Amino acid sequence: MSARDRILNRIRQASTPDDVAWQGGGATPAIAMTDGADRMDRFIAQATAADATVSRIDNMAALPAALADELRGRNLPAAIRHGADPAFTALDWGTVETSQGVGRIDEPATLSRAHYAMAETGTLVLASGPDNPVTLTFLGETHFVVLKASDIKAGFEGVFAAVRQDGLAPRTLNMVTGPSRSADIGQVLQLGAHGPIALHIFVVDA
Amino acid sequence: MSLHESTTPQFKANSRNALADENLQSALRGARNGFVGKRAIARAKMGEDEFDALRDRGRDLKNHVLANLGDYLEAYEAQVIASGGHVHWAETAEDAQRIVLDICRKADAKTVNKGKTMISEECGINDYLAENGIKPVETDLGEYIIQLRDEAPSHIIAPAVHVTVPQVREEFLKAHQHLDPDRDLSGLDTLLTEARGVLREKYFEAEVGITGANMLIAETGQSIIVTNEGNGDLSQSLPKVHIVMASIEKIVPTLEDAGTVLRILARSATGQDMSVYTTFSAGPRRTVDPDGPEEYHVVLLDNGRSNMLGTEFQEMLRCIRCGACINHCPVYQTVGGHAYGWVYPGPMGSVLTPSLIGVEEGGQLPNASTFCGRCEDVCPMRIPLPKMMRHWREREFEKNLTPTATRWGLGVWAWFAKRPALYRLATRTGMAGMRILGRGRGRLHKVPLASGWTDMRDMPAPQGDTFMAQWKAKR
Repeated sequence: MSARDRILNRIRQASTPDDVAWQGGGATPAIAMTDGADRMDRFIAQATAADATVSRIDNMAALPAALADELRGRNLPAAIRHGADPAFTALDWGTVETSQGVGRIDEPATLSRAHYAMAETGTLVLASGPDNPVTLTFLGETHFVVLKASDIKAGFEGVFAAVRQDGLAPRTLNMVTGPSRSADIGQVLQLGAHGPIALHIFVVDA
Repeated sequence: MSLHESTTPQFKANSRNALADENLQSALRGARNGFVGKRAIARAKMGEDEFDALRDRGRDLKNHVLANLGDYLEAYEAQVIASGGHVHWAETAEDAQRIVLDICRKADAKTVNKGKTMISEECGINDYLAENGIKPVETDLGEYIIQLRDEAPSHIIAPAVHVTVPQVREEFLKAHQHLDPDRDLSGLDTLLTEARGVLREKYFEAEVGITGANMLIAETGQSIIVTNEGNGDLSQSLPKVHIVMASIEKIVPTLEDAGTVLRILARSATGQDMSVYTTFSAGPRRTVDPDGPEEYHVVLLDNGRSNMLGTEFQEMLRCIRCGACINHCPVYQTVGGHAYGWVYPGPMGSVLTPSLIGVEEGGQLPNASTFCGRCEDVCPMRIPLPKMMRHWREREFEKNLTPTATRWGLGVWAWFAKRPALYRLATRTGMAGMRILGRGRGRLHKVPLASGWTDMRDMPAPQGDTFMAQWKAKR
């Protein structure tokens, strides 16, 4: 008998199936049931509380100028690395130098697009793939993320329903809430442990 | 070495050393109040009733999983295989060691990056890989610090909580010899930046990345890892092979059930509404993907857990490793994690350790409790920890492992307890005696046979009458 069979046998001998038709989730708290303007307000407040910064732009065409401003304001070079997402490759980037591909060891600024977000906790939800290579989310010193306002869900339930409906099955689904951090040195919280030191979210209204 | 070696039988001696360790005491003082206050605020911000309703839901969810664990494990396995991953079943820590080494050898690995995984501590993976010529590198900042110090973690979510800042500085100066010895490491930020730089290079060197799993989802075959640093993600995204080490009880049925656990996990652990990175991983990189691992392996570890099913310790398998019981435990707050002598400290460790390494080895730990009940009060999965520690004490007593003095004391107490008239006489006499000794001060500096108490603090002298006398008078 294999290890697998021995483990499963022991489990089956020691447990009694409950014959419950299980309904997942439940006990959804009110903070995960916002709608309309409240939902947007909560998303921005929660993301900000998690040390992300948020700005709103009218449409995708406004992204290059808004990003150029952010880079300048942060004393970063006017350069950005992103994936093959048509939403990015179709843009006229003007003065911002762009490069396409995966994350590299020394990367001042990266750009990704979030599939969804959750107002409940101010969390972005990204899907790995050629459009948004997962390493861009972790290797940029400053990570910029674009999010459509209409993709902000109230909570986990909304995100998971959308994942199913859209048939989204990437290698990784990454939930990101603020920039990386650690309190492992002297129990003092510091931003920028292994991942980004700063996270900026552009919410695109249309 | 088969398992992580334990010094658990020396718990008392370990505790005495911990109390005398000035560095440790200073670090524990710093940690003591942070976690407790932050959890309370996070619970209040959601609404205490709603938070507690989620705890009920979490308890029911895990009870359901444990009742049907065989079916859920098979469903999970099928999903992992369907997404192109491999599942390896490990009955023991030794099996897990061999499976991991085998995968590393096939990948021709010289260096292995580790995200934080308590299971790998339990299986002694680092030592085993090193003995076999493969270099393990811990990437969680706390784990990295203790790896440099050649220590075990002292807390399941804050592994280096016992290390002071000057000690970190000293280790970095010793370990990072390629850097300028006169560099400025005075600020906390300089230490973090240095660790970030050193580890960033390591991420690109390793052929294999090992992470733990906070959950395994039966519906989708995904493993979930939760971190604040991002090390779990770099460890799994850059090497060509990703190994997930997870124990069999980590299963949840659906995505929404993962949501239930995530809603209580971070709030109970660090008081965050949500940890920074929660990553759902399924299989290797897709053919079109430009990054991510080419192989995805899950090592499913039993190591004694299936033997807990159907026993009075089954409920311990609901544990989601948030560390709330540890943070709130007055014993842990006083002696720290290393005194417990094995991988899991605090109340959860006191219940789990004897289950996993035997009551002969771990039987001391369930005695390291005043039964104050704070652990059960804060447990997000509502695990009755004090009750289970009591079960272990019974087993220890039945196996004749309890020290002679304790057995003798219990024997004397039992003799009186079975003779109520004598018992009442004895307590009345004892109280009167203590009142006389403490006359005028209301407290005693010395009590015969209780120097363990009175060496450190005074014993309050009994006030009023015995409980039984008061009860009679009231009726």
